[in-house]
Amino acid sequence: MKADEDLQNVGRVGLPLAPAFNWSVGNWMEQFFDGLKERKIMASKCGLCGRVFLPPRMICERCFAKTEEWVEIPETGTVEAFTAAHVRVGPDGELADLPEPQLIALVKHDEADTLLVAGLVAKNASAGMRVRVVWNETPSGALDAISCYEPMD
Amino acid sequence: MNKEVAVIGYAQTLYEEDADASREMLTLRAAREALVSAGLKREDVSTVVTATNDYLDGRTISNMRTVEPSGASQKDESKVEMDGAFAALYAIMRILSGFHDVAMVIGVSLASVYATYLPGIMILDPTWDRERGLLNEVSAAALQANCYMREYGVSDEQIASVSAKNLDNAARNPLALRQMPGLSVEQVLDSRMLYSPIRELNAWPATDGACAVVLASGKTAAKAEKPVWVKGVGLCHDSYLTERPLAVMESLKLAAEACYKQAGITDPASQIDLAEIHENFAHEELMAYEALGFCEEGKGGELIESGITQIDGGLPVNASGGALGANAVCATGLARIAEAAMQVVGEAGDHQVPGVKTALAHGQSGPCAQDNVVFILGGD
Ligand SMILES: [Zn+2]
Repeated sequence: MKADEDLQNVGRVGLPLAPAFNWSVGNWMEQFFDGLKERKIMASKCGLCGRVFLPPRMICERCFAKTEEWVEIPETGTVEAFTAAHVRVGPDGELADLPEPQLIALVKHDEADTLLVAGLVAKNASAGMRVRVVWNETPSGALDAISCYEPMD
Repeated sequence: MNKEVAVIGYAQTLYEEDADASREMLTLRAAREALVSAGLKREDVSTVVTATNDYLDGRTISNMRTVEPSGASQKDESKVEMDGAFAALYAIMRILSGFHDVAMVIGVSLASVYATYLPGIMILDPTWDRERGLLNEVSAAALQANCYMREYGVSDEQIASVSAKNLDNAARNPLALRQMPGLSVEQVLDSRMLYSPIRELNAWPATDGACAVVLASGKTAAKAEKPVWVKGVGLCHDSYLTERPLAVMESLKLAAEACYKQAGITDPASQIDLAEIHENFAHEELMAYEALGFCEEGKGGELIESGITQIDGGLPVNASGGALGANAVCATGLARIAEAAMQVVGEAGDHQVPGVKTALAHGQSGPCAQDNVVFILGGD
């Protein structure tokens, strides 16, 4: 930057652009959501390599093929890893401190090969711990049907 | 690759928290200075590849009005919606096609005008993770760090050592944003906890800035004052973060293998003199040591403890301060190329490492370093 360059910015304006979008979730996610509403965890399975996708994916990227099979997955699993969230992303897009740390876990459901991310409510959380789904008693839809995970014992 | 493409010019703007300049002016400064560095004029450039991002700009066609200050008026021009390191790969391909002689590559963004952590949510799976509201770039990285630490017994102190090293190095780089001379591991471990184990000083700082790199064909580069040859390039894409093992950077490993094959690198730790790694989070640098073959799998923590990757060690990593020192999204990986080239030329000033003949530059994109690109640059 050179001092003789008159390149400075004069100010900023807010951009009054806030479009809302709808997203076609695809037939597989729709079936997954329908299952969640009945407290069923449905996953898709690759007919070629047997990989079980949760949430269900329509394509097995390794086999370059459509997944055609459905399997119902137990509501139990294992914590692969977890983090204690001391912050959250606020509505302004910045990190705001939480009053109490909250645990976020990567859970591998029994019989599934991929991971789900959800809250974990446990006093002494540890990687490798066995957990089960806590269902939301009053879900507003499918997305919040799984409330969090809790220790199995 | 044998003297087919070279970096012949580079420039970076000052990295700032809140630059008093528009993205257009930052782009113009970087482009003009890169041309001066290359000893060329705008007329000599035949193709321009820019790296900008629609979601960081709150608009579509984020290269509108940044194409012109890139010098692309009435020229062959294209945009990469990823880091500029990926744009550099496309520029190399355009030159290798034989249709282009000189390419300008530019990455730019202004963190001060967007909501810092919202774009990192927009990149998640929109049917599930984005809507569930728990994942963002930092929490996803924290889950990865936990997977890595658990798998290999890596400690908080070893991860904090990366921050202490890079932010101390940044103090020698006049362009870096977060300059913290003498920063200790304890100070890093005392910084604000975000998502365990990631603290403020383990994570990138929101940054405004731009980087430009000029690439040329072998014929033109041979006449340049300071050609830094591209000896090899490797690119690899990996699965979405919940569908791959997070304790290893498999796509970086595959990208490095492809790059090393072209560059004739069989023993990276001894053949590479310096590396610039795109570490958005401190633990990623340790994981990258392993994926790049600087040490065995799981030994990244021990490698940082050995001191080899310090600026005065045998294989300095991020002498510039890396992405922890400044992270203008879209410019960060490209800046690793500029920094690596600068070290080979010997123009890095206070953070110059003596005798750099072969340097590695790395760029990444996507949550938990989903996509990776690796370059080997060399003087002769
Ligand atoms: Zn398959």
